[in-house]
Amino acid sequence: MHVHDDPDIESAELAVRLAGGDREALAEMYRRWSPLVHTVALRALGTREDAEDVVQQVFVAAWRGRGTLRPERGSPAAWLVGITKHRVADVRTQRYRAHRNLQALASEVVTEPATPHDSDWAERLLLVHELERMGDPRATVLRMAFIEDRTHDDIARTLEMPLGTVKSHVRRGLLELRDRLKEVERVASD
Amino acid sequence: MSHPTDDELVDLALGEPVDADRSAHVEQCAVCSASVEQLRRTARLASGSESYAGWHAPDDAVWARVTAQIDADDPLRAEVPDTATAGTAYAPEPGPADATVTPISAGAARVTRRRAAAWGAALVAASLVVGLLAGRAIWSPDESGSVSQVALKTLDTRQREGEASVVRTGDGLDLTVVTDRPLDAGDGYLEVWLINADGKRMVSVGVLRPGETGTFPISQALIDQGYVVVDISKEQFDDKPAHSGDSLLRGQLPA
Repeated sequence: MHVHDDPDIESAELAVRLAGGDREALAEMYRRWSPLVHTVALRALGTREDAEDVVQQVFVAAWRGRGTLRPERGSPAAWLVGITKHRVADVRTQRYRAHRNLQALASEVVTEPATPHDSDWAERLLLVHELERMGDPRATVLRMAFIEDRTHDDIARTLEMPLGTVKSHVRRGLLELRDRLKEVERVASD
Repeated sequence: MSHPTDDELVDLALGEPVDADRSAHVEQCAVCSASVEQLRRTARLASGSESYAGWHAPDDAVWARVTAQIDADDPLRAEVPDTATAGTAYAPEPGPADATVTPISAGAARVTRRRAAAWGAALVAASLVVGLLAGRAIWSPDESGSVSQVALKTLDTRQREGEASVVRTGDGLDLTVVTDRPLDAGDGYLEVWLINADGKRMVSVGVLRPGETGTFPISQALIDQGYVVVDISKEQFDDKPAHSGDSLLRGQLPA
């Protein structure tokens, strides 16, 4: 049996290696997840320069804080996204201060930064990533159920799959995704 | 009554039919209703991802910045033992051949990782002292000769495979880079960089031919501003002026 065919086992091994101080594990994590981290930061901050600064900070923080990684919680992706939320919030705070200081100089009323943002982008992108990573047929079942909003009966007919199997994939899949979001929350609220 | 199973909570969250007594329990139970709400939020966030427009990888140079910053803030990796001799005078204008065999003093702080961990704080303090002493000895003006050198090591295995030295010339500083054996540039070429200790900025100092010694003019101002990490990268002929992120050897100049 090739255990490395299972992306979850591979991710857990990476997490253990990182926690043990293996620099190559950090490099591998960067190869896998820097596009996820960068895209989250880019969505949240809008400029490539700020987003790349966040990527740098996240992976440096991941190395320094490797002791806080919990390999048993599955993919380090959620852990990295949690750190990313932290850093993005820091950049936003700095921007707000700069904005407020400018406003104060101009003797204007202090207001919230003008650009509205969807605070759930980090979670949404993590779920997209997890769905891409997840093997089929579960990923397809979840996409049809949640993104295309199709009924379980419809999915069962289309995929020629027993209804019970569809329901089982939806249940397992949703619980798994829920656990990823819990991990983001745990890290981001530290 | 016991809590519903996870499967039953999912069904409730998705509006699937569930036994009436189960849903009655969830309405009463804070833990279960929070769980159902979390599952609904998960489903909602998963459903909203259709406007997703693709992944954007960061620039390759960002990885080089990450490793430079990690190297810079880790005293165990900051080449303290190898550079503790930097303050001693070397023969003026050593040729490239000399540079490869310059002995490292046995008195240099040669510590094992385990001991180094225990003495980490002392080591940091010592390196500061060394840095200050070295700084005074090194950067005094109107003196020619080798002023600073560092072993160049692979990033993953920390194998020493070359050396960089800074030599004061009549009108500035020269950075000389020599590798123990020719580096493999593949289809591309080798480029020498000075990366800032803050890990955010870097400058290209020139192209290194595999198997040859490279000497590049640099300035005192660069060193003063913190561009002290010597880095050799493998670059492709891709019209991208930035660092590829593929560093072969690296070492941080003392002080």
